[in-house]
Amino acid sequence: MPKNSKGREVAEVVPGKCIGCQLCIGECPTNVITMEDGVAVIEAEGCIGCGKCVDVCPVEGAILFEKQRKKKAPKAAVACPIEEYKGVAVFIEVQNGRGAEVSWELMGKARELAQKLDTRVFGFLPGYNIKSVAKEAIAYGCDIVYTLDDPLLETYLSKVYGKALAHLCQQVKPDILLLGATPLGRDVSSVVATQLGTGLTADCTGLDIDPECRLLMMTRPTFGGSIMATILCRNHRPQMSTVRPRVMKLPEKDMQRRGEIKKLGFEAARDSLPQVLEFIPRTAEAGEVDITRAPVLVVVGKGACDSKSLPMLEELAHLLGGTIACSRAVIEAGLLPYPRQVGQTGKTVAPKIYIGVGVSGAVQHLVGIQGSDKIIAINTDSQAPLMQIADYAIVGDYQQVVPRLIEGIKVRTEKEASKG
Amino acid sequence: MHIVCCVKQVPDTTQVKIDPETNTLIRAGVESICNPYDLVAVEAAVQLVERYTGRVTVISMGPPQAESALRECLSIGANEAILLSDRAFAGADTLATSYTLSQAITKINAAEPVDLIICGKQAIDGDTAQTGPGIATWMGYTQLTYVSEIIGIENGNITVRREIEGGCEVIQGRLPAMLTAELELASIRYATLPELIRALRYEVKVWGAKDINAAPEKLGLKGSPTSVREIFAPPVRGGGISFDAKEKKEQAVEDFLGALFTKEKTLMEEILIKASYAQE
Repeated sequence: MPKNSKGREVAEVVPGKCIGCQLCIGECPTNVITMEDGVAVIEAEGCIGCGKCVDVCPVEGAILFEKQRKKKAPKAAVACPIEEYKGVAVFIEVQNGRGAEVSWELMGKARELAQKLDTRVFGFLPGYNIKSVAKEAIAYGCDIVYTLDDPLLETYLSKVYGKALAHLCQQVKPDILLLGATPLGRDVSSVVATQLGTGLTADCTGLDIDPECRLLMMTRPTFGGSIMATILCRNHRPQMSTVRPRVMKLPEKDMQRRGEIKKLGFEAARDSLPQVLEFIPRTAEAGEVDITRAPVLVVVGKGACDSKSLPMLEELAHLLGGTIACSRAVIEAGLLPYPRQVGQTGKTVAPKIYIGVGVSGAVQHLVGIQGSDKIIAINTDSQAPLMQIADYAIVGDYQQVVPRLIEGIKVRTEKEASKG
Repeated sequence: MHIVCCVKQVPDTTQVKIDPETNTLIRAGVESICNPYDLVAVEAAVQLVERYTGRVTVISMGPPQAESALRECLSIGANEAILLSDRAFAGADTLATSYTLSQAITKINAAEPVDLIICGKQAIDGDTAQTGPGIATWMGYTQLTYVSEIIGIENGNITVRREIEGGCEVIQGRLPAMLTAELELASIRYATLPELIRALRYEVKVWGAKDINAAPEKLGLKGSPTSVREIFAPPVRGGGISFDAKEKKEQAVEDFLGALFTKEKTLMEEILIKASYAQE
């Protein structure tokens, strides 16, 4: 137990655990905590041993302090706050006149959360001519779809959509609001949260209900994916969260499912709004593939970043009905274009089979592939992080392994064909 | 034209790692840098001023050390720099952060009207992309996120290209506006020696909660609706089967395929059937 020269028992920061959030600095009554190299440091001589820094620290065990004292009672507000807010709402994003797949993925998650809370699932659907989308929402698990149908909502504008969703939240008062972390979803979610003065957690990879306080536990990667944080929004409603496409599983569609569609009125100022002058679709660029939709991905890493090997890797992907993707290093080397990048700064993927060739598996890459069903890794280094987590790890030189794989799969494909 | 850029000092996340033995963050020796997206925002602002004349003011909320991020911005051509630093700001989530920054911008605006705010699209440590839209909402400015090109400014209108789902759009909005920058918006120049010297000698102004007339309950931890409940190492998938193709090359690959086609029989059959359809 550390003591200072005055004989006081003092608190001590564990540098490896401190996340540098600076909460303790604001809490310290004697102002003896400073930041050094991104971590908090407590000056022992000035510390009075009050333990306030320990109470506020979000990380278990990041501040050592063993003095016996009464543990602060948990905040009373934790027990079921703001009771008039009920139900789990999903913002339904419309892309080319249809519901975005991520909205349906969230509908599946919303059902699960609603079951735990014993409540209903709402769809928030602003747009124009959206009747068929509303019906689809019910098929994917929505109980009541609230629509705002207005020509002004045909094109996305931050201000108009922000107002529309804030309006829906004020009318319906949902406990939880989930949005897809698409460019549109990220743009509008922040406007709505700021207007309502509530909390918003971006890019969650896990959503669950705390069985005791019934709050939404929002888990997300932070620091470029090197750590995970679970966030709560205790005293404000709705609890808002965005989730990237392909993180949650798409639920089964049931056209027989019954639900209600309620059309609400919507008024918005129409002057001095921005005007979209032109839309240039990206598919016009030659040969672009959406790697998030491929059932099999052959992912090229730094260890296989060689233009001569590409045709061979493409053949492997093609044999399995998949496509080629890559890690960030391969983009930086200029071998493949940015839309092929998997990981924190690229795309989140969840293929049935992920085959990493020469991919070491930095955390920034791994957070983008967590939803994969089966992970196969080929690498000369058996200690590479991807090799450690792979379902199947092949230790060896990919230049020798891949041709044999292609050969072996061809034999099996032919067997399959002769059978069928 | 007066442009305000909001920047954040961040740990270089490519250097932050987890100690596999103790499961704790290794931050020793991790450098603090100016968020790369924010530097692009400053570069774009400086280029606009070169095109249309005007001034660029950079602001940052953070501890006293964040001053070095502001000096980086000064060295590439920002005119003024203000650091928002106060114990009351600590522990802020994106709502409290965007409130604090917008209070500062309101003060700057009173002295010299602001036409444009440019932020990076997101910070590399949090990746939330929420602060820019938050500021636009507090300020009531036109919001244009994910901007990859500023096409022009004319008669109080700004025209930009935005990167959105499935493509990009050309959109025109009224000033004052808040833009968030994609990396391709501008390529950051190298600072010249005289600029570096000016940046080093510049006296950064420091504003606290009182200077920006902020409501104490909207600041820092108190003004943050979200709170961190726990922090942990990313989930680790259990390791699977390993095949050594270094020694006995052919056998290892054959063993692997044998295992794959036995253990994942249904999955592999489904994949091969789909693949054969796709090829026909």
